[in-house]
Amino acid sequence: MASVNSDEWRAICDKFNNAQNLTEVESRNDPENDPFRSKYKARELLREIYCSLKSFEAGEGEEESGGESGEQRPTEQPVDGQREDGQGISGDSPAGMRAAKLGAVEYYLGVNHVDTEELSAGQEHLMNCMKLLERCRVSSENVSLFIHVRNQLGILWAGRDETEMAQGFLETAESIYQRYMKEDGSPPTDMTEYFTSEENLLTHQERTKRFELAYTHTMYYLAQVYKNLGETERAATYCHSTLQRQLQLNQFSPMEWALNAATLSQYYITKGRYMEGRHCLSAATVISGLAGEVPSEAAAQESETESERREHLRQKRAEIARCWIKYCLNLLQDSKKLLEDNIGELDTDRQDELKRARRREEEEEEKGRKSALLFGSEDTFDSIASLEEKVLCLFPLDFTEARSVFLVGQNYVTQAKEYFQMDGYVTDHIEILQDHSSLFRALAFFEEDLERRCKMHKRRVDMLEPICNDLNSQYYLLIRRQLMFELAETYSEMMDLKLTLANRQADTQSLDNHTIKKFNSLCSASAKYFQMFLDSLCSPEGKFPDVLEEEVLRPALVARFRVARLHSRLISSVPPVQLENLNRSLENYKYVVQYCEAHPEAAAAAETELELSKEMVGLLPLKINRLKARMAANN
Amino acid sequence: SSGKGSATNTSVGDNDSIKVFVRVRPLTQGTGLTTDGDQSLCLTVTSPNTIRLLSKPEPRTFTYDHVADMETSQDSVFSSVAKNIVESCMNGYNGTIFAYGQTGSGKTFTMLGPSELDNFTDELRGVIPRSFEYLFFLINREAERSGQSKNFLCKCSFIEIYNEQIYDLLDTASASLFLRENIKKGVFVEGAVEKFVNSAAEAYQVLSMGWRNRRVASTSMNRESSRSHAVFTMTLESKESINEVVNIRMSQLNLVDLAGSERQKDTHTEGSRLKEASSINRSLMCLGQVIMALVDVSNGKNRHICYRDSKLTFLLRDSLGGNAKTYIIANVHPGSKCFGETLSTLQFAQRAKLIKNKAVINEDTQGNVR
Repeated sequence: MASVNSDEWRAICDKFNNAQNLTEVESRNDPENDPFRSKYKARELLREIYCSLKSFEAGEGEEESGGESGEQRPTEQPVDGQREDGQGISGDSPAGMRAAKLGAVEYYLGVNHVDTEELSAGQEHLMNCMKLLERCRVSSENVSLFIHVRNQLGILWAGRDETEMAQGFLETAESIYQRYMKEDGSPPTDMTEYFTSEENLLTHQERTKRFELAYTHTMYYLAQVYKNLGETERAATYCHSTLQRQLQLNQFSPMEWALNAATLSQYYITKGRYMEGRHCLSAATVISGLAGEVPSEAAAQESETESERREHLRQKRAEIARCWIKYCLNLLQDSKKLLEDNIGELDTDRQDELKRARRREEEEEEKGRKSALLFGSEDTFDSIASLEEKVLCLFPLDFTEARSVFLVGQNYVTQAKEYFQMDGYVTDHIEILQDHSSLFRALAFFEEDLERRCKMHKRRVDMLEPICNDLNSQYYLLIRRQLMFELAETYSEMMDLKLTLANRQADTQSLDNHTIKKFNSLCSASAKYFQMFLDSLCSPEGKFPDVLEEEVLRPALVARFRVARLHSRLISSVPPVQLENLNRSLENYKYVVQYCEAHPEAAAAAETELELSKEMVGLLPLKINRLKARMAANN
Repeated sequence: SSGKGSATNTSVGDNDSIKVFVRVRPLTQGTGLTTDGDQSLCLTVTSPNTIRLLSKPEPRTFTYDHVADMETSQDSVFSSVAKNIVESCMNGYNGTIFAYGQTGSGKTFTMLGPSELDNFTDELRGVIPRSFEYLFFLINREAERSGQSKNFLCKCSFIEIYNEQIYDLLDTASASLFLRENIKKGVFVEGAVEKFVNSAAEAYQVLSMGWRNRRVASTSMNRESSRSHAVFTMTLESKESINEVVNIRMSQLNLVDLAGSERQKDTHTEGSRLKEASSINRSLMCLGQVIMALVDVSNGKNRHICYRDSKLTFLLRDSLGGNAKTYIIANVHPGSKCFGETLSTLQFAQRAKLIKNKAVINEDTQGNVR
């Protein structure tokens, strides 16, 4: 090996720097018709370096027939020949250093060939690098190369749809990193330093940063590999690690990071893991704050750049607010599921039981899981923690707790609406309103006072009704259908509450006129919206479809059934009106029964409704006939 | 997908589902795709709605609403694809026709006709000129029938989406435009020029002008037209006054030329390739997409995704399911050299049949049967 200060060696270092510069800087300006010009030049230089290295007197260890031994390893062997026995040349011996240097050149040649779309040649060079390293023990001199070459092979194999191969290389990289950090952990040499003069060596800090970044990439590639393998749980963990490492290494752009963390929170909440979800969201909010102040409207008027920045920051923060809304909403809805009995009312025995259980679990569980999860760098850690404390991550078990979650959610509704205004963002704005309405609905479940519960549902009606009526039905058909259904159900809910209240107050069975009027108007409003939903399924000529599309099958049958029930519940003392109501009711029950007879596969979509409809189709005619007989007798 | 998607049972109700028409172009010289006079084919049309791709080891059969072989005339493409959509437009439905396929697979020929054509009465004119003619034929007939109590107003706009930026092809001086929504108008491009047209010839003029601008833009601003989506929109408004009551109907016909499929290197066509970290940018671009894919396997839970739709899908949202009529014309080249691109086009077309905007009705399952 030439001495580090000889002229020959300097020439090699210069060539290497040139090659790096060609690859990273010059190549960006290559002309369209010769896109790899600089890369080809760099390749030549690397080949020259390789030859010079080979021609230096060999160190210990036999000569490698570099480049020619491109034989594939047989596939039944493990993908990655990483030795676990710790045998081999030590990394800092002359032979070890020589192998590492040659390996590094092979590595750069491999990457170069892959970049210029010569995959199999690239693979060969990368495998040569692996072979050279095979003879060495992992040490601070070569560990970085160990990781880099496997990252590249992972990318290469994934590109060929050989996901398991990619997985093998990347998982080995991961275990090499972990072992190195456990056994040595000193800032390792960066591969570029093999070809720099003494005075240009990197600082420890810079070494650490580059090494940690390479490993972060390993995490990032593994996240993708696991996603492609369908192992979502594992993929999520690796996304999490990637984000965490970006923060620690201070290698991130705040808004992008924040959006990624907010998106990850949505994964956790769909899995019912609220502690993780809350942590991601708190971190997202704190880190998005690092992106700076939103420029004022005045500033945005002045300059295009400021205007774009204002738009960007406001939008992304509103998006994060919307992720928070979903957090609060899901948390409330999940607790409701836990606590409700079979008619959807709060089951107090379950409530007591859960409260006792929570006290037991709280301490142990939280400590264990929490430590595995923390995001943050020294500066942001505390702000994230204090933001987390503002909202529960355990299931709220009574009205007070539910209300505190509701209020946080409602606060984010206000924030999100500031950006996603109705004029300009119709769909987004309505989605936010729908969430707001759902928040009220979930909170109402915890409210014991029926009068106040009714008021909450009234708030939902006030929120959604005007929009449902204003929306252009051609462009917003799907959203309108959702709104109609929700309004229909909300009115039904209010109707039931009013009736329960009236029955409690009146000891006798007879209701006063005012109450009857109120009840009937809620009942009619509910029927009106169910009917409106059904009408939205008709053709422009007003014909109801013979066959219901799969995604509206259940809602349509349910709407028919509910219309039937509502008509039979309308209170009237006038026999002809009664008769009319009962007939409408029968007609709709019949529809459900007949449709399911004609399309047996539909029965599964609305089992309970079908069963009850059959019963009513049997019973109602008797009732109708009795009424008719009474009417005839009275005439 | 096994390539055995059934297209026969989806025509229920005759609306909603996206229909797919596959057209195989003839093997001719000078397309830049058939080199060395290689005459070997990679596919055969086996019936009016099946196509067999000669893949190894097993050939695969794909089924669509319609498969047109090399002999198919321009007129019959129009009759199968566009006639019905134009008629629905007259009845107030929105309609969209997409053209998809690799560069050189015959997209422009199918949609416009031969490139040197300026007289659009030629037998070789494409779907778009024929749609214009038919639309105005229907308009005039309808206006006459109603004894002039019905009026029609027809506006055109023409935009291009390149790199998620929107450009107006009828006003090349304008900067990029924004999508906005309004409760009455739905989604629209704010500030896009709208030209009123009174005849097929005028509509065709607007189209030609925009098409020329597309070329100009691609040379002057380093935009490649094969990487951009072009959306030509005709808005049809009919006004009928019967005894003082004015009845207004609006509908839209969108004609979309999608970016060449070989340029669609998005996550959906790349399969299992890994996104690489770029050392220049400090961020790990696309980590968000990875996470998004995890969230998307949602179990009916309520979630929010921060990454917005592409401009194109947002603009044409109600064409993708809902209450619009949509047809995709997938153009393929039969040459063996195009096997890879043809396969991915056929797969895309298969997937497209599954695209639907669903409205999930969140019903309160509790307490509705009390």
